[in-house]
Amino acid sequence: MRDIKIQVNDLSLYYGEKKALNNITMQIPANKVTALIGPSGCGKSTFLRCINRMNDLIPSVKITGEMLVEGVDIYDKNVDVVNIRKKIGMVFQKSNPFPKSIYENVAYGPRINGLKDKTQLDEIVETSLRQAAIWDEFKDRLDDSALGLSGGQQQRLCIARTLAVSPDIILMDEPASALDPISTSKIEELVHELKEQYTIIIVTHNMQQAARTSDHTAFFYMGELIEMGKTNAIFTKPEKKQTEDYITGRFG
Amino acid sequence: MTHFEMELEKLKDVIKKIGTLAVSQVGESVKALLYEPIEGKEVKKTEIKIDKLDVKIDEICQSIFALQQPVASDLRFIMASLQISNEIERIGDLAVSVIKRAKNIKEKHDLISKFGIGDLAKEVELITAKTNECLSTQDEKTISEILNLNKNIKSKGDTIIDKIIEEMKSHSKVVVSGTNLVIALKHLERISDHSSNIAEYVYFMVNAKIIKHEKHEDLNIDKLD
Amino acid sequence: MENTNTISVNPFAKASGKGKDIKEKAVVGITQIAVLLIIAILFVILGIIIYQGRDKFSWEFISSFPTDGMTKGGIFPALIGTFILVIVMSIAAVPFGTITAIYLTEYAHEKSKFAAAVRFSIRTLAVVPSIIFGLFGLGFFIQFVGTGMDTAFNGGELHWGQPNILWASLTMALLTLPVIIVSVEEALKTIPRELREASLALGATKWQTIKKVVFPGSISGIMTGTILAVSRGAGEVAPILFTGAAYYLATLPESLSDQFMNLGYHVYIMSTQSSDVEKTMPIQFATTLVLLILTLSLNLVAVIIRSRIRRKAK
Repeated sequence: MRDIKIQVNDLSLYYGEKKALNNITMQIPANKVTALIGPSGCGKSTFLRCINRMNDLIPSVKITGEMLVEGVDIYDKNVDVVNIRKKIGMVFQKSNPFPKSIYENVAYGPRINGLKDKTQLDEIVETSLRQAAIWDEFKDRLDDSALGLSGGQQQRLCIARTLAVSPDIILMDEPASALDPISTSKIEELVHELKEQYTIIIVTHNMQQAARTSDHTAFFYMGELIEMGKTNAIFTKPEKKQTEDYITGRFG
Repeated sequence: MTHFEMELEKLKDVIKKIGTLAVSQVGESVKALLYEPIEGKEVKKTEIKIDKLDVKIDEICQSIFALQQPVASDLRFIMASLQISNEIERIGDLAVSVIKRAKNIKEKHDLISKFGIGDLAKEVELITAKTNECLSTQDEKTISEILNLNKNIKSKGDTIIDKIIEEMKSHSKVVVSGTNLVIALKHLERISDHSSNIAEYVYFMVNAKIIKHEKHEDLNIDKLD
Repeated sequence: MENTNTISVNPFAKASGKGKDIKEKAVVGITQIAVLLIIAILFVILGIIIYQGRDKFSWEFISSFPTDGMTKGGIFPALIGTFILVIVMSIAAVPFGTITAIYLTEYAHEKSKFAAAVRFSIRTLAVVPSIIFGLFGLGFFIQFVGTGMDTAFNGGELHWGQPNILWASLTMALLTLPVIIVSVEEALKTIPRELREASLALGATKWQTIKKVVFPGSISGIMTGTILAVSRGAGEVAPILFTGAAYYLATLPESLSDQFMNLGYHVYIMSTQSSDVEKTMPIQFATTLVLLILTLSLNLVAVIIRSRIRRKAK
């Protein structure tokens, strides 16, 4: 693995007494797409949310171990969670645009960071919408409400919104599971384009999607990391029988 | 172009490459048969290249099957590519065998001009060139020509072989050369056969109809549907 | 379609058994009668009020002062007094209630004892009889805070330590606080968790999220709460009995330390302490009518806004 963006060492997560993630150790490579797959409840989404510390929002959660992003443990006491989330963006399963205009949705992040200059904001909005491949569709209706868009458009708007804060890493939690096949393939194509600039980690319950879009795949089961490797290898000659059973549809 | 389409283009490129290399190997084998024994090193290099490309095609196809779940024409393209690559590799192999045999043929000029082998060899060159062309154009007329050409080559070849065997019966000094020549001719016939197979796979790619092992008696492509 | 074998017993026929049928009809009937009864009572009350007050009810009535020992004239000062009361009350209660609601919904931990205590207090406050608020206002605002202010700023001279519109408004604010808090909480809860998560995931702090995402979405809830509070405050009498309402004032209140007249209080005194109860009957009914129109229309507006919020939440 050329460049390691995230190094996870012995990460465990507890919901109160219940251990949901069991000593996860893995490396996420930079500027690649890493897919997390596994049956429902295996912990892949929980693990994803550890990366931008969204699990902090749940009061009963306790996390042990290390998560090093470019060498810095994001769970260290001296680290400001807000800054982490500016560097590690997230796209959610169900698109969640703000009840504001398209422009205001994308400008939200930069505004939060104190940017007020209209020209700069305009530029960022345009760049982000272009990166998300929806500038042409939206450029003439930036003031329209985001809530009037279709599911696929809303999700790409949410991606643009995430891009507007210039993160290094983009987390995607089943971003296309609520979308029709055409919108899904548009999002998958977008992921391919984005990986030039960003490190992408995508959780999906759709194995074929993981196969189509990712460079590396990690297979989770019952809170444990069973196997991780290049996607090509995982889908042609997985090392562990459990992985093979899951991929061939024998269980899960 | 989507990521998937780029993978398919990559595959097409590699097939073009291996096809071109095979055509050049056949060209060298014809030269070796009709004229001078040639330098072995270049041929060896090309043979290694062909083998490597064949493996690469296998890998690309496996990857596409596993990761992209191709269907319809894409599926047929991948399936056909695997088979075609195999056939091309065999053509390359056979060409090298012809070159080896050619070394053991003395009094070449006499035998060759006596039995009109020059024409046959040129037809074999033609069929491989047409096959290579057909990989890119996927043109049905070309496919039809290839299938016909193969038939002609096979019958001509068989005729020439019979004549050589007659010659060997009466002139025992030419037995060694004659045997090698017969084997080389058989190789050429096989090259032609493989080309015809490739044409059948291209037909499958385009029309989703498997026509291999059929006799193509009356080669009117329209009737095949 | 051809008629094939007809079945001898129709499986879809109505179930026989007259007893069951009658029971079903009886239940429907009783509910219908109950509803009609309630509507009828409402109409009767309204009818009496409208009938008895129709003579007096006029623009002049609303815009002029009472005269002749309050047996003639209008209720203008009472109307103004009520307005000022609800405005000051809102200024006090709405921000305080909104902040409390934001704390309870956004900041309080589930298991926090403090938050539980706050919630308990609000619930208790909601059921305290309104006269108790009046007594509290008298004892705390007037006799403690007011007198304290006089001692500190006026050298003991009596100014704030007596009933006035400020203390009455603050007392009313306490009464209506639970209503506001509940309405705002309701509106805040309609904002889905996903929007908060989206904001936080973009690197916003909790406060930024509240300011830019949660709060704008709760404006309609704040409006509903305010309107409900105002409608309550316009009608309640007990809290202002001894904290600032006056029997008769020749002028309108000019500062917060003045007393004021009030619609509800006016009806009370008209019916119990006027010089001629018979004569003032029309005035009482007309005043009641004005008060009713005021509170009913405010409630209607609040209901409309609230139903719009609920539809949006779906």
